[in-house]
Amino acid sequence: MIHHHPDNNMLLEYASGSLNWAHSIVVAAHLQLCPKCAADLKLLNGIGGNLLATSAPALASAPEQEKQSFEQLMQRIDSGNQSFDAPEAPEQKAPRTALPRKLAKDPVFASVPPVVEKLLGQNSALRWRRLSKGLKEARLKTGQCQHEVAFHRIAPGNKVAEHDHRGTEITMVLYGSFSDADGIYSRGDFLVREPGETHRPTATQNHECLCLSVVEAPVALTGIMGKLVNPFLSFRPQ
Amino acid sequence: MQASDQARNDEWSRLLIRVGRHRDRAAFEQLYFHFSPLIKGFQFSRGGQSSAPEAADELVQEVLFKVWRKAPSFNPDKAAASTWIYTIMRNCRIDALRRHGRQPDTDESLNVEDIWDDSQDDQPLIYLQQSRSESAVADGLQSLPPEQSHVIEKAYMEGKSHSEISEELGLPLGTVKSRVRLALKKLQSTIVR
Repeated sequence: MIHHHPDNNMLLEYASGSLNWAHSIVVAAHLQLCPKCAADLKLLNGIGGNLLATSAPALASAPEQEKQSFEQLMQRIDSGNQSFDAPEAPEQKAPRTALPRKLAKDPVFASVPPVVEKLLGQNSALRWRRLSKGLKEARLKTGQCQHEVAFHRIAPGNKVAEHDHRGTEITMVLYGSFSDADGIYSRGDFLVREPGETHRPTATQNHECLCLSVVEAPVALTGIMGKLVNPFLSFRPQ
Repeated sequence: MQASDQARNDEWSRLLIRVGRHRDRAAFEQLYFHFSPLIKGFQFSRGGQSSAPEAADELVQEVLFKVWRKAPSFNPDKAAASTWIYTIMRNCRIDALRRHGRQPDTDESLNVEDIWDDSQDDQPLIYLQQSRSESAVADGLQSLPPEQSHVIEKAYMEGKSHSEISEELGLPLGTVKSRVRLALKKLQSTIVR
């Protein structure tokens, strides 16, 4: 049972498409495990649908021009791969990316939500870095540099050193559970910590704990992340 | 939503089903000429570069292309036609913004549809019947106080985050958040009622 959810504000930003890329990834992972939030999302998408249905229609260009645009679209549809024209079977979804064999054997990755599985497929060589005793981190490439997205692994029963955050930190539990002074968090739970809120997570005794976390990237990027940034390009991460 | 609006939404659903099942071009044409001015109208409410007519035309083409391709997976029990098309449009807008801001040599990573996917729709709808809640949302939206509907419209139509809205309106972030929450509470209560 999931007890901690993204708030309505964050879900609305996700539904309206204004939530940043990294936060959207972790919200998507939560939605894939949480029927309650998935139901709330239907309402939020429904708001978008209603606003679209009742938006003031833009004045049409000349009818011939509209007709021409339509013909262009039909040409594009026809000229595309012939298979586009055959009805796509509704169940035909993107095939699930197979996990790299090494990860597939690891129980903590056994039943991650689809968006995390996709991330794993694109980050097959996870580089675990030991942050402290019993706590490891592997950063993930997600196609943006505004936030650091990472897995954190806490050994069974291990206490993480008390820490603060330089910016908002979002953590979602993917496997096992951990607790801090405020409660116990297990699979699917979604936590937001603001800067200045310190906490000291402890993994439960019998299991390892795996979390997906997102934290604002430092202003001055260093290390691996820094090398990815080309200083000659103005880059607007999204 | 008036009963007639509901019937109209049902009509768009029927057309979408015909496009999906029978690749019905006449049905698709009707959808195209109904939704393209709405999509443009929605898009024009964004300021700046993205409200240029070419950008709006491009968006229409992209959205309707996807509507044609995805129509076979449209399920009217899960979403109204306008909501289904809205989610396709939202994803196209996110995609366009991303392509605009991306470094050419950045690795291709997750796609928009990996993150804004519709797999959560596979879960059984344990709440109300979809069409009823859709019309309740429409009624609810119309009865919101202006300061609440204003932030909701900014979020959806202009694609602004809460902090962007707070900057633009010169309101504390907490005020924007609470207006959104109040609006949602009201909408939720109209549905449950």
